Amino acid sequence: MSVAEVISVAEDLRPVLIAKGITKSFPGVLALDNVDFDVRAGEVTALLGENGAGKSTLIKMMAGFYAPDRGEITVDGVALSPDPSSAHRVGVATIHQDAHLVPAMSVAENIMLGRWPTRYGWLNKRLQKERAARALARVAPHLNPSTPAGRLSSADQQLVEIARAISEDSKVLIMDEPTTSLSPPEIDRLFNVVEDLKSKGMSIVFVSHWLEEVFRIADRVTVLRDGRLIGTRPISELDHDKVIRMMVGREVRDTILTKRPVGDVVLKVSKLTRENVLENISFEVRAGEIVGMAGLVGAGRSELAAAIFGIDPYDSGSVEIGGIAIPPNDPKAAIEAGVGLVPEDRRQQALVGLMSVKSNVTLSLLDRISRFGFLSMAKEQAIADREIRALAVKTPSSKTRVSTLSGGNQQKVVLARWLARKPKLLILDEPTKGIDVGAKSEISELILRLAEGGMAILLISSELPEILTLTDRVLVMRSGRISASLPKERATAETIMSFATTG
Amino acid sequence: MADRVPQSSGLSALRGRISFIDLMQSLGLMVIILLGSLIMTAMSPVFATVRNIENVLQSATIIAVVAIGQTFVILVAGIDLSVASVLVLSSVLAVGLVQFQGLSPEIAIILALCAGLGIGLVNGLAVTKLRIPPLIATLATMTIGRGMAYIYSGGTNIAPVPRIFIDLQASRFLGVPGVIVLTLVLAALAQIVLSRTQFGRSVYATGGNPLAARLAGIKTERVVIAAFMISGLMSAIAGLLITARFEAGAATAAQGLELAVIAAVVIGGVSLFGGEGNIGSMLLGVLLLGLVQNAVNLLNVPPNWDSVVSGLVIAAAAALDVYRRSYLEAGMRKKVIAKAAKSTPKTS
Repeated sequence: MSVAEVISVAEDLRPVLIAKGITKSFPGVLALDNVDFDVRAGEVTALLGENGAGKSTLIKMMAGFYAPDRGEITVDGVALSPDPSSAHRVGVATIHQDAHLVPAMSVAENIMLGRWPTRYGWLNKRLQKERAARALARVAPHLNPSTPAGRLSSADQQLVEIARAISEDSKVLIMDEPTTSLSPPEIDRLFNVVEDLKSKGMSIVFVSHWLEEVFRIADRVTVLRDGRLIGTRPISELDHDKVIRMMVGREVRDTILTKRPVGDVVLKVSKLTRENVLENISFEVRAGEIVGMAGLVGAGRSELAAAIFGIDPYDSGSVEIGGIAIPPNDPKAAIEAGVGLVPEDRRQQALVGLMSVKSNVTLSLLDRISRFGFLSMAKEQAIADREIRALAVKTPSSKTRVSTLSGGNQQKVVLARWLARKPKLLILDEPTKGIDVGAKSEISELILRLAEGGMAILLISSELPEILTLTDRVLVMRSGRISASLPKERATAETIMSFATTG
Repeated sequence: MADRVPQSSGLSALRGRISFIDLMQSLGLMVIILLGSLIMTAMSPVFATVRNIENVLQSATIIAVVAIGQTFVILVAGIDLSVASVLVLSSVLAVGLVQFQGLSPEIAIILALCAGLGIGLVNGLAVTKLRIPPLIATLATMTIGRGMAYIYSGGTNIAPVPRIFIDLQASRFLGVPGVIVLTLVLAALAQIVLSRTQFGRSVYATGGNPLAARLAGIKTERVVIAAFMISGLMSAIAGLLITARFEAGAATAAQGLELAVIAAVVIGGVSLFGGEGNIGSMLLGVLLLGLVQNAVNLLNVPPNWDSVVSGLVIAAAAALDVYRRSYLEAGMRKKVIAKAAKSTPKTS
């Protein structure tokens, strides 16, 4: 490398995008707390953090979707106003996790989306094709500009989005987990494109959960945790363990040590496979045991729960409850075999908002409270009253519409439903997501009590403290596989994160 | 911050028991009906006669019976446009099978009802198994059903009708016309099914949140199919009522009836989004539409204006439904935000 080149590279490392003192809160949550972040020309900056660390909020802010409560974002000295079109104007292009193309339009039309060249007010197709082809030549010469975008693979759609960014002369390209749906060769091709853009002076923000990729492509790493900036370091100063420590490094509360007698195998999952979602999953949960299921968003944990509970079909493998196989794709059969599921999204998947608290509590008990199809109103009321009292659900009456309750109380209603049914296995998917601290600890205690009573519990959680304090054993999932099964002694935040990202 | 069951004041307990807005809608309809009747009594000497009231109720029975079935479908967030076609098909079959095929009237009636159930089954299967949107699926069966009725009847009404229909129309029960009593019995049965049975509860759950219902172990597809079959059956029964009323297998009757029925059901507070409503208030919607029609006739409103008036009533009722929803949601949001503000800020 000549002296001149070194100097030009050094000059190029001026910050292009500067975010200063960014603070953003949503009702009840401080998503970003005084975060400084910058992106330098000709560099790839990796933005890392656990689920909920504030990465998405920061990205959406740079893309102009949110306004910061405090702080400012500038691109080459020009302030970014909270408006996606302003972001495009100052030169920030964002590639979201799912491609945002108009499927029925051609590749060329998508590249020029909203900026279609015109002559005397008429669309100029020739010019459009020319400009699109120029952008395409740099990232995806193999694509035909007149193919409808909907026919492309997701990898090619992504390249079209990058071509769009190039045609807009974007200075900063934000890529939010761009590799999640790509195969290894497609990832290689994407990385070649990124290297090329970088050498031409474009700045790239790269968000990924896969640390190998980060070490392959990034020049600098910025880590967020709980909405705060932990630090920005050149990649050369870091190694795998250091990055994980930055991401996790919170004090972990003392584990609650309760020795519970562990009984017979309740759940036995054998070689469960669903193409591109779950790969050869086998594990057991015993009576009285709490098994934690850790992993990143998209690792396949909720999909595994859905397969066990019969919501989603699977290609091969089996699920047994108490030694008896349960049929796939039939939630009713799973419930009758003794499985309960507290799903991740209680409003969408568990509660009927228009119905009363009482009716929601008894929704999966209808067979037990009716004779010849007729409901016993007295039995229903008694069960609802009992469970509302047992879980201290804060509601004006059992006849109140469930949608008017707070998140924590709604979650208790979902739990009450399963407690009334007394399943052998209870699957909890992010049971404390989005609920306040008080209700959170109540739910944690309840989980322990249920296990003491002999229920087998599979606890899916993205909150490591919850996993570490409550569970007897931790399974870590990554890319649809179980990458580790850790006994309590070996389950630390660092090992779990390590298996979740690279195992 | 441990959650405690609060000492609920008398007021908040009352609020939990009956939603103010729900009460408003039933009472509101009741008030509108009473006020309208008073005004009509003042304006028309004919209105408050037993004969006129009986006439209003009798003509309302046909819409009411169809609307009972439609309520099940709308409660599961569907819609059934085929009801009027099922009605005429049932009517021409009940008469024609006796006249053309020489079957006994009883068998003919049973087959007519089976035709209704059958079309309901087809609708239900199309919506659940083929995943055709209800609007389109039932639009198809609506067209096919009407066509089949025309083909079978030769496009004209079939008369005379078997004795049993004449008797039905003339029957009185404790002085009340039999068709009105029959309608009320069907309505009561439907209300019991909806509020007191496992199936009824499943109907509300499926319409309110199909995914949650499925995950609670409810066979939601079966519930939807059953709702469409009930609608088909009810429409077929209404076909028998119209046969009795017109004393003919009525191939050309009930044009546009499906829209009047849907309007009545929505005016009666059954939400088009599913999961919400009951038979009692729904019948008030039917009654209101019947009275509007009657008023239009008695006041000699120019014939082309009556549909304008009906349209205005429908628009007002739909607006009330939307308003009611936004009011409810706003109340819910306020509570959630208040709760969030109280809890400690924390990222998850």
